[in-house]
Amino acid sequence: MNTRFLSLAAAMLLTMGHGAAAQDIRAGESGNAVPPAIFMSAEDHQGPVEAEELTLGMWVKAGNVTTYTIGNSWNDWVLWLMYDKLREPSPYVGKAEDWLATSIEQVSDDATVWEITLREGVTWHDGTEFTAEDVAFTFEYYREGPANRWTHHASSVPRMVGIEVLDKYKVRLTSEKPMPNFDRITATDLPIIQKAQWEGVEEPRSFTEIGIGTGPYKLVDYEADRYYRFEANEDYWRGVPTVKKLNLVMIKDPQTMFTALKTGEIDGAARPVPPELVLQWQNDPDLELISAPTLWGVWLDINVAREPFDDRDLRRAITMAIDPTPMLDRVVLGQGKSGASSWPHVDSFWTKPDLAAPNDPEGAKALLDELGYVDTDGDGVRETPEGEPLVWDLKIASNQPLFLRAAEIVGQQLGEIGVNVEVASMDPGALAELWRTREFDLRIADITPHGIADQDMLIILYRGDAGREMVVDEEKKAIVDRWLEAQTREERLRISYELQDYQTKYPNRVMLWYPESVFAYRWDSYDNYAPSAGYGIFHKYSFLPEEVREGTVDPLIMESN
Amino acid sequence: MVYLRIILQYAAVLAVALSLNFLLPRIAPGEPIDFLLPEDVLAEMSPEDEARVMREFGLDKPILVQFGDYVAGVFSGDLGTSVSYGMPVWDIVFDRLPWTLLLMGWALAISAFLGSALGVMAARWRGGAFDVGSLVAIIFVGSAPPFWVAMLLITLFAANLGWLPSFGAAPLAAIPGSWEWIKGVGIRLIMPVTALALVQTANILLTARSAMQIAMGQDYVTFARAKGAGEGRVFRKHAFRNALLPIYTNVMIGIGNLVGGALVIETVFAYPGIGSLIVEGVGARDYNLLQGVFLLATLGVVIANLIADLGYPLLDPRARRA
Repeated sequence: MNTRFLSLAAAMLLTMGHGAAAQDIRAGESGNAVPPAIFMSAEDHQGPVEAEELTLGMWVKAGNVTTYTIGNSWNDWVLWLMYDKLREPSPYVGKAEDWLATSIEQVSDDATVWEITLREGVTWHDGTEFTAEDVAFTFEYYREGPANRWTHHASSVPRMVGIEVLDKYKVRLTSEKPMPNFDRITATDLPIIQKAQWEGVEEPRSFTEIGIGTGPYKLVDYEADRYYRFEANEDYWRGVPTVKKLNLVMIKDPQTMFTALKTGEIDGAARPVPPELVLQWQNDPDLELISAPTLWGVWLDINVAREPFDDRDLRRAITMAIDPTPMLDRVVLGQGKSGASSWPHVDSFWTKPDLAAPNDPEGAKALLDELGYVDTDGDGVRETPEGEPLVWDLKIASNQPLFLRAAEIVGQQLGEIGVNVEVASMDPGALAELWRTREFDLRIADITPHGIADQDMLIILYRGDAGREMVVDEEKKAIVDRWLEAQTREERLRISYELQDYQTKYPNRVMLWYPESVFAYRWDSYDNYAPSAGYGIFHKYSFLPEEVREGTVDPLIMESN
Repeated sequence: MVYLRIILQYAAVLAVALSLNFLLPRIAPGEPIDFLLPEDVLAEMSPEDEARVMREFGLDKPILVQFGDYVAGVFSGDLGTSVSYGMPVWDIVFDRLPWTLLLMGWALAISAFLGSALGVMAARWRGGAFDVGSLVAIIFVGSAPPFWVAMLLITLFAANLGWLPSFGAAPLAAIPGSWEWIKGVGIRLIMPVTALALVQTANILLTARSAMQIAMGQDYVTFARAKGAGEGRVFRKHAFRNALLPIYTNVMIGIGNLVGGALVIETVFAYPGIGSLIVEGVGARDYNLLQGVFLLATLGVVIANLIADLGYPLLDPRARRA
């Protein structure tokens, strides 16, 4: 890893007490910061910073690389190789750099109207010019078309009611409710698609043409679920990519992928290295390891559509009874962070810095006594005031062995307050259906950075819950309503903090842990990867010229630091 | 008449199989939409949005209409669009089919030859060192789960010795059809074919050994010996020809076993065949894709059995009179 530049940046950040980041933070923005990535290998080699051809292993299918075949945070980096956003890198961090836009300005006091001035001279992969028509079309298509991972930015939070092309390079957007974070969230998350290619496509999930983007790589050949071949976009406005040909090969079996990396068949593995292999590879002379924040989490999902979980005080007792710390040690061998800090993600820019879930089993018992959930028949299990024993199922997917251990710990901890938990491991398909039909009590699941590191998603998750809750939580609804009407970034953040406090106190989900993601690559093939929060190290910024990366990548420090 | 009866039997089997192919994916819990979109997207989707997604793939229609569409599609060559790939099912299946045929073809040929040869030799020297040694070895290997055998092979020949590539079917860098490409395809076949063939070899060996032992104890063998035929001739002309029938049956039945083995082997070796496609389809509850793949697998097994049935009269004159 050529860490000189990054380490210097990291050192400056650390010695100034996050001073550089603080300068970037405007009023109304969180002081929470994503921690630096950590270089974990014993030796820091100096390998090539450019490469003719590179082959990386991927493990999550990407279809034909469109916004309708990608929707998972383990494969969205493939999309970003081809597509750009108005600002980059992501909605998860406290910084955003103008990308396809040269300016994004709020033009109404109530933050419902914004004007976007676009970069001139940007071309699509087919050589045609990128204009305001494309941006306007993107918002219209996502507002009216079938839902995907990004459509909420035009159809829900925020919902666009006016999309106007002012001139060839200027667009005005008007939303139903204020969108004071448009430039920090929507603009940094929404991929811009080409009007000429997508106009008239009514069934985008069945669209099989090779996507045309403005990004640093062109997709030249692929076989879905087998391989993808990309070639550098020599006309990329941000500079010619450092790797000319990029091949992604699909290897779903983790052992096979890491064997392929070790033998040199692939140059990098775009999936986290398991903890036991990290220890083994730290001294491997062929490989380098970086622990980079991917902002994932694992939580306990409480089914609020089912009794007695409609009782928010009961849910409070659950969160008080659960201590996530043993899970971190016993389930992921300490590789990650405890969920005791509640959610959103502890490292998310939008998270209230001192947020913490309560852990007070004795308080939980007292609360349950007070609520009338007492053990009337002396069998060690409490009953509801109506006499129903507190016997709950806890479902986990059978392809997640770590969750089984976590479920056993949750069961033990809830058992200590008089709740009997029956753990059941099920086929992922069966569990997914139970989740959709809300036929479970408790469930352990992982959650993407899109779900827990983006302020707008708090509201989207709330809306999903609200549609299913047995009784309307008026107090929470009032907070959300105020959030939706808030016209400034400061007010939004303040209300968001209120919502975070509220959902920590009366949770629908209890955060268990935040896994650490360690990535490995062969330094002698390419040694110019850089971390970017939410994406790890395999993303388009790692293939941009170093001089233009600064605003999109994060600091990297040596482990000994 | 015999052939007509056989063909009618297989037509009935095919009709039942078509119905099962349609029903099985739908009986499994979960629906395509559960896997098409991540939970954070599903969380806020309205019932209208969900219905729109289902409509895109024709999954909003009544079940009988879907079945009618499926059957009509089978005969018109249109198996619909894969929910998870967004591509026509036939396109995906035919991209993958050659790789599986290559893999299974070699595995079948090697297991048939090796299993028969070792089985016959074990019977020939029954109770000897070769018999005991081959039996112990093959029972050990044959009892091992295919994925475990595959992982051992990867660990030994890819990770430790570095002799063979650990994944894929063809080198990405080579031009398809070039010598380098053909060489790359060949070398990538070695481990998956070995893993797949080993388990099947054990079945065939045991059948061949047993069939030969039974044949050697028959009256016609005693009679041949009594006529003064040499031991070699008795073994080859009298015992082996009679033992061929169960061996042949076992080899043909083995095609079905190989389809099952391919699910695991192709996934472990990231081999882009039909087996890994089934795993993908099941994981995504991709009804159309599964219907297409199951149809193909069914046809494959039915055709293999048909060939087996049609082949019996050629191998055994008694079958012609049956």
